[in-house]
Amino acid sequence: MSEATSTGTQARPLAGARPRFHLIFSPFLYAPESVRTVFTVTFATCCLPLVAGLVLFGWRAAVVAAISIASCVLTEKLFFKVVRAPALVGRSHAWLTGLLLGLTLPADVPWYVPLVAAAFATTLGKAIFGGVGHFLWQPALVGRLAVTVIFPALLTGADGPILARNQLVRGDIRQVQAVQRLRDWPDQLPPAGYDGFVVEKPQQTLRLLYDSQRPRFSGIAYVGDGLERPEPPLLSRLPSVRRMMYGVRPGPMGGTCAVLILVAGVYLMYRNYVKPHLPLSFLLAAAVVAAIAPIHLVGHDGATRTVWYPFLYEGLAEGCVFLIYHLTSGGMLLAAFLLATEMTSRPVTRGGQVIFGLLGGALAMVLRICTRVPVPVFMAVLAVNTLTPLIDALWRPRVMGQSWLARFRLG
Amino acid sequence: MRRASFRRHGSFRGGIDLPEETHRTLHAPIRPAPPLECLRISLVPGGRSPAELIVSPGSRVSAGQCIARASDETGVDIFAPCSARLGETTTCPAADRDGFVEQAVVELTELPESQQIRTLTPVFDWRAATREELLARLLQGQLVTFTRRVQPLAQWVRRAMDRRCSTLLCNGMEHEPYVTSTHSLLKYHGPEIARGLAILAGAMGIDDVSLAVDARYQDDYQDIVAPTQTYGIEGYSLPSKYPISAENVLIMVLTGREVPVNGSPMDLSVAVVDPATCFAVYRWVACDQRCTHRVVTVSGPRIDDPGNYWVPFGADCHELLGNGEQPLIHGGPMVGKRIVDRSVVNASTDALLAIDAPIPHVPTPCIRCGWCTDHCPARLNVAALNDAFELGDVAYADRAGAMACVECGLCSYVCPARLALSQRVRRLKRNLFFLRHRAAMDKGGK
Repeated sequence: MSEATSTGTQARPLAGARPRFHLIFSPFLYAPESVRTVFTVTFATCCLPLVAGLVLFGWRAAVVAAISIASCVLTEKLFFKVVRAPALVGRSHAWLTGLLLGLTLPADVPWYVPLVAAAFATTLGKAIFGGVGHFLWQPALVGRLAVTVIFPALLTGADGPILARNQLVRGDIRQVQAVQRLRDWPDQLPPAGYDGFVVEKPQQTLRLLYDSQRPRFSGIAYVGDGLERPEPPLLSRLPSVRRMMYGVRPGPMGGTCAVLILVAGVYLMYRNYVKPHLPLSFLLAAAVVAAIAPIHLVGHDGATRTVWYPFLYEGLAEGCVFLIYHLTSGGMLLAAFLLATEMTSRPVTRGGQVIFGLLGGALAMVLRICTRVPVPVFMAVLAVNTLTPLIDALWRPRVMGQSWLARFRLG
Repeated sequence: MRRASFRRHGSFRGGIDLPEETHRTLHAPIRPAPPLECLRISLVPGGRSPAELIVSPGSRVSAGQCIARASDETGVDIFAPCSARLGETTTCPAADRDGFVEQAVVELTELPESQQIRTLTPVFDWRAATREELLARLLQGQLVTFTRRVQPLAQWVRRAMDRRCSTLLCNGMEHEPYVTSTHSLLKYHGPEIARGLAILAGAMGIDDVSLAVDARYQDDYQDIVAPTQTYGIEGYSLPSKYPISAENVLIMVLTGREVPVNGSPMDLSVAVVDPATCFAVYRWVACDQRCTHRVVTVSGPRIDDPGNYWVPFGADCHELLGNGEQPLIHGGPMVGKRIVDRSVVNASTDALLAIDAPIPHVPTPCIRCGWCTDHCPARLNVAALNDAFELGDVAYADRAGAMACVECGLCSYVCPARLALSQRVRRLKRNLFFLRHRAAMDKGGK
């Protein structure tokens, strides 16, 4: 129990005697979770998408992840040795950062790419801000941005490799043959000496919809209406929805398997490390932008048609499929559930996280639609990370006993 | 026939279900205190200046005899809990709101065997008395409140009446691990508490009286139901979620109104009282028994004989707890204090615990997980307040509403970085209060 304010009746010590306060403070019980547990459990959970990457992209995925984790830990150690500052909970967080960084990289990159990315992630992303608890941007994404800028040829292509079905886990992801489409992945086997195919990334296919100069498709799905059209539908160039869910497509090695990312995300929510508000608002905003942004199609006469509300253009079922492609491609789920939810770089309050998620999701979609930014979703997360202190300062929950207006007074 | 029971009521957002750990003392009867060597009775329970002894040191006093008279309006008279020999006047630490304060005490030695708590026969027909008679008798009682900050009951009653309080709430919730003193009092002396509450309401002229009890134990409180209906007391059973028994939270849950940030419950014309005070009121007004004892839960994993004891004021904490190797705590484990040498039981002592020492953790930087903010019953952004503390930005803490903190300790409890958040917010509050007090003084000076 507590008194609200102490008025003038506070007990005073004896007149003349010096007051001696023995302040040893409560509470004397603690919840079992510590910072280290938080990072360790998150690390273990994030290994789930890595498993998917290992299966789909072969042993090179494990190598990339191992290099990235090891170099994150070593860079962190080196940095704190050089600046002679105590790294308090650095190591468990360095492990986590390294793993997340690995998840955002494709599996076919050479060994020096995760190394450079880890160095940037640890120094520029984390250490110069003062380490755990102080950084502004998600460190793994800082590393990813750095290598995207430094090695554009390796990381910004419209195509990516994927292993053939008989080469899963053991195949070498760099021994691949170029094939255009992924729809017939289970039926096709690569010629001898090759372990997989190079195919177009789904988000690149989706981006073609928004090209007003030269539209490539005449519709999203149009099944069985029997009309002749000059161009194929969008879905004929994309892998099936089931394959999008399993992750059979090129992309960041931890960002393709939607099922396992969702499982990991739900577990983190169950542990209360992630509030559902953030990923859900992120995905909601992305879905809304995708549902209303105009797409450009080829009409019957060959002229360009601009269609607003593609969600409703061919019916709700096709609209939903269209949204699912948008939400599962390009690391969107990875960003929403595992990257944007990094504790330090997200706002603290629930309302702030909703704002953060809405801004991030909408920005990710806008970047994908309107710009040629290489990894739009990750860049969007970095951009809204920048706004986190602002959101935290502006959005305050109404404190008990405060008036409704008091929370809008700026600090 | 359906048993009469309490009205169920909702809860609040935030809070947490703490581990209870009360099973060892939950159904234990109230027992007499173990044999005591001496008592050190505070002469300044809630007052400003010590009461003046009216019995010379070295002489014998009998139970209930007045041994010291209050020196001003803010003090109370001191009575002997049992027959004893009066010793020297010294000082020793007694619990106050924030810690232990050295207070003037008088020693009593040559104590008889400890008494059992008894149900007394009424000698005063309080139901036939007028309001003025009741109030006069209540104010004669020299009672104190049994809250964390002990103050004379007369002072509290006068303040509540000055603020024209129209609602009287009896806070029978108990939510801290290990602590069962209120529960045992309600279970074994429920009707007396209901009568005490009715007396208090009658003396203060309040019609809207409520008693809030824990929904889990309401079957133990069946004895209270009939008296509450007789005296027009509304009984509520609330779900137990820490910290529902914090005054501000209880008022928010029961009345739906929120205590203003810099205010007290009396700003909403609500007066909150606890069962121990009601019990003391009944024993004085109806049975002519002075208030010299209280129920104290002595418990903890290392205590061999835990229980609820009827302990006289002034008993030495270490004498009650036995050995002193593990940290000994005065009050519940969430808001209590480490016991210091020679500290004594006073009206604020609801429990004396010997719990395992929390492993000393080096606090790590805040990782902004937001759990403190999620669980805060006052909906404070504790992470931002922690920043304000580290930057020394008291003005920001004021705007962020630091004064609304109910000091329940939940933020420290859940913090994975083991930061002493609740202590930091408490310090910000004290600083704010001090600054405001000084500003008011400056203004008054001009």
